[in-house]
Amino acid sequence: MIKRSFKGGVHPLSRTHEGKQLTRNKAAVVFEPEYVCIPMNLHLGAPSEPCVKKGDIVKERQVIANPVGFLGLPIHASVSGEVTEVSEKQQLGPKKVMCITIKNDHLHTLEEPMEDIGTCETADPKKIVERIKAAGICGMGGAAFPLHVKLTIQDEKYADTIILNGAECETHLTSDFRTMLERSDDIVAGLRAIMRAMNCKHGIIAIEDNKPEAIEAMKKAAAGKEGITVRQLKTKYPQGSEKQLITVVTGREVPRGKLPIDCHVIVTNVATAAAVKSAVEDCRPLVRRVTTVTGKVKCPMNLLVPIGTNVHDLIEYCGGYDGEAAKLIAGGMMTGPAAPTDNFSITKAMGGIVVLDAKEAVAFEEGPCIRCARCVSVCPIGLNPAKMKQYCDANDMEGAKRNNVMDCIVCGCCSFTCPANRYLTASFKNMKDRITLASRLGGKK
Amino acid sequence: MSFNVSTAPHIRTKESTSSIMRNVLIALLPCLIAGIIFFGFLSLFVVAVCVVSCVVFELLFELAMKRPVTIKDCSAAVTGMLLGLTMPVTAPWWMCVIGSAVAILLVKQAFGGIGDNFLNPALTARAVLLASWPGRMSGGAFVTPNLLGKYASLPAIDALSKATPLAGGQYSILDLFIGNIPGTIGEVCKIAILLGFAYLLITRVISWGVPVIIVITTGVFGWLFGLMKGGETLNPLYHMLSGGILFGAVFMATDYSTCPMTALGQIIFAFGIGLLTAVIRVFAGYPEGVTYAILFMNIVTPLLDKYIKPRIYGEPEKEKKGGEKVA
Repeated sequence: MIKRSFKGGVHPLSRTHEGKQLTRNKAAVVFEPEYVCIPMNLHLGAPSEPCVKKGDIVKERQVIANPVGFLGLPIHASVSGEVTEVSEKQQLGPKKVMCITIKNDHLHTLEEPMEDIGTCETADPKKIVERIKAAGICGMGGAAFPLHVKLTIQDEKYADTIILNGAECETHLTSDFRTMLERSDDIVAGLRAIMRAMNCKHGIIAIEDNKPEAIEAMKKAAAGKEGITVRQLKTKYPQGSEKQLITVVTGREVPRGKLPIDCHVIVTNVATAAAVKSAVEDCRPLVRRVTTVTGKVKCPMNLLVPIGTNVHDLIEYCGGYDGEAAKLIAGGMMTGPAAPTDNFSITKAMGGIVVLDAKEAVAFEEGPCIRCARCVSVCPIGLNPAKMKQYCDANDMEGAKRNNVMDCIVCGCCSFTCPANRYLTASFKNMKDRITLASRLGGKK
Repeated sequence: MSFNVSTAPHIRTKESTSSIMRNVLIALLPCLIAGIIFFGFLSLFVVAVCVVSCVVFELLFELAMKRPVTIKDCSAAVTGMLLGLTMPVTAPWWMCVIGSAVAILLVKQAFGGIGDNFLNPALTARAVLLASWPGRMSGGAFVTPNLLGKYASLPAIDALSKATPLAGGQYSILDLFIGNIPGTIGEVCKIAILLGFAYLLITRVISWGVPVIIVITTGVFGWLFGLMKGGETLNPLYHMLSGGILFGAVFMATDYSTCPMTALGQIIFAFGIGLLTAVIRVFAGYPEGVTYAILFMNIVTPLLDKYIKPRIYGEPEKEKKGGEKVA
C-alpha cells in the first residue's frame, strides 16, 4: 500500500511556509572563516581521538582525529593552516568536548586524495562502505549517525529499498532543498553508490510537495537511472521522520524497538548521498556542508561552510542580528536545541541556525491539562501523551514505560499542539534518557 | 551574548485553553440570544446569575485553597453559561446559585479543578437541581415561548399540565426546529444550536463525530424502541429535535474533561449516550434522558480510556508484511 501521508502530525507555520521563504531562493554561498574549531563529537558515538597537536601545520582534508569504537569516524581538517589549540571547549552539549582549532591560511593546501576506487557505478561494494567510513560520513539530517554502520548489516538481514530523505519538514531550513537543486546529479550518483554497496534494486528520493523545484530537479537527474524514483510527499510535519517516511513511501512499518533495516529499508539524507558521491568518485572526505542561517539576521542565506565554522562568525557574515536576538536554535523550530550563546561550531549534521527575536521566543507557561486529546490525535506513533505526562510528572519510570514512552520519537507535535502549553515532549525526552541510563546502569550490576 | 534556552519545540499553536473557552462562549451566544427572543430578558438574568456565581465560586475556592486563580481561562464562565442555558426561564435566582455551587465547588474544584473533573459540572448541577426541585426544573416550569417574553402570566410551579414536547408530540417539526416550544433557555432553538455547532467546528474546538453520532443514535433507537413498545411512536426526526438532545450532544457531551481521548472511545461514548437517551425516553416514562445518559457515559469514560488504546506504530500483531516489493 502506498500512501502520501501518515496518521497524526501538525503544520507549524503552515499557511505561508514563511520560515522557508526567507532563504529558499538563495543559492549556497561559499564562506571561508578565519579559523575553524572542530569538535571531536561530530557524529553519534564515541568522540574521535585527535592525532595532531598544537603547532602542527595541517592540510585541508587531512585526517586530524582517528575513530574510536564501533560507531567512530575519522575527522578531517576542513581548512588548511596551523593547529592553534587542542583543548576542551563548550559546544552545544551539556559537557565540554575536545576541539581542534585550526587557523585558516586561505591557501587551500590539499592533502593527497584518497585512493581511486572507481565511479559510483563501478566501485567495489565493500570498498564503497570502507570509503564512506574513511571519508567521515554520518547522517547529515540531524542525528549524525555514522552511515557505514547503517550499511554494515548482519548476514541474515537485507535491504531492498534505500530512501533518500529530502522531506525537510522542519521549519525555516532550506539547506537540503538547495542541495537538491544544486547537486541533484551528485545525489543520484551517491544513491546509486549506496544501492550498489547494499546490492539493492530500489532507490527512492522522497520530497515534500512544497518543494516542486526540487522534485523537478531530482526527477530530471534520476531520469534514465535504473531503479531510482522520486516520490512526492504531502507537506506535513514530521514527514521527514524516519519511521513516518518509511511508512509513507513503502507502506511498511518499522517493528517496535527495531531498526529500519528490520523492514528492509535504509534511510539517509539527501545531503549525505551527495557526500557519498564526493567520497567515492572524487575521493574527498566530508569537510563542508550547506547550512541555512535564517530568522532574525540581516541577510538570511544558505552557506557552504567548512565543518567547525563558528556560528558567531557566520551570523556576522549574514549581516549580524536583525534587532535584539532572543533565541538561537541549532536546527528547525520543532526539534532544534536552543543554544545559550552563539559561540559553537557547525557540525556535520547541522542543517541550519534559526534566530528568533523576543516576540517569537516567548517562554510558555504550563497550564493544567484540559484533556482536549489534541496530543492524542497528532501523535504520529499513536501514543497518549497526556497520560504519559502524568507518569513523567509523578516520576514513575515503570508507569511511563507501560505507557510506551520509549516509543516516542520526540517529534514535538504534542507540545506544539497543546493549548495548555504543556512541556510534553521535553518530559518524554527526559524520561527516555533516564530509562536508557537506568537500564545501562542496571546492566552493569 | 547569551540567549534564552528552552526545550524544543520552539513554536506552539496560537490556540490556548482560554481561547478555546472563549470560542465555546461565542458558540453559546446564539442560544442565549434565541433564549432572550423566546423567553424574554428574564432568561438573560438567569444565565447571568449562573455565570457570575460560577466565576465567583471558583475565585473564592481558589483563594481559600491558595491555588492559582484560573478564572481568566474562562472555563468557569463556560460552566455557568451551560448551566444557565439548561435552566428553565422560571428558575429562581437562588436555584441558579445553588446549581453553580454544586458545579464549581463539588464537581469541578473538589476533584482538582479544570481537566480533573470526571463529571460534566454544569450537567451534574442540573441533575442535582432536577432531583431536588423537580417541579421547578421540568414540566410546569417550562413556559411556552412568546416572543420577547410577553407571556400572560407565569404558570403555577407545581402544575404538570404543560408537558414538554416529548411527552406529547403535538408540535410540528418546524416549531421544534425554530424553537417555538417549551423548554430550557438554550435548548429550544435548534437553529441557534446548529450555528454554535458550526462555529465550534470551524474553530476546530470540537470535531463532528460525537454530536452527530449521539443525535442519530437517539433518533434511530428512540424510533425503534417506540415500535417495539407498540402503540404510537415518534419518528426519528422528532426524537432528534425535541428535548435537550441537540444541546447536550453539541455542548455537553463534547466537554473535554469528561469524554474519552481516543477516536474509538469517543464513538462508543457517543453511541452509549444516544442509546441510553432513547432507552430512558421510551421505557423509563421520563421524557428527558439526555442529562442522565451523558452523566452515565461520563462515568464510563475512564474505563474507555483505560482499555481502548490507539494502535502504536510498529506494533507486532498487525505488523505489515516486510519484503513486499515497492514499485
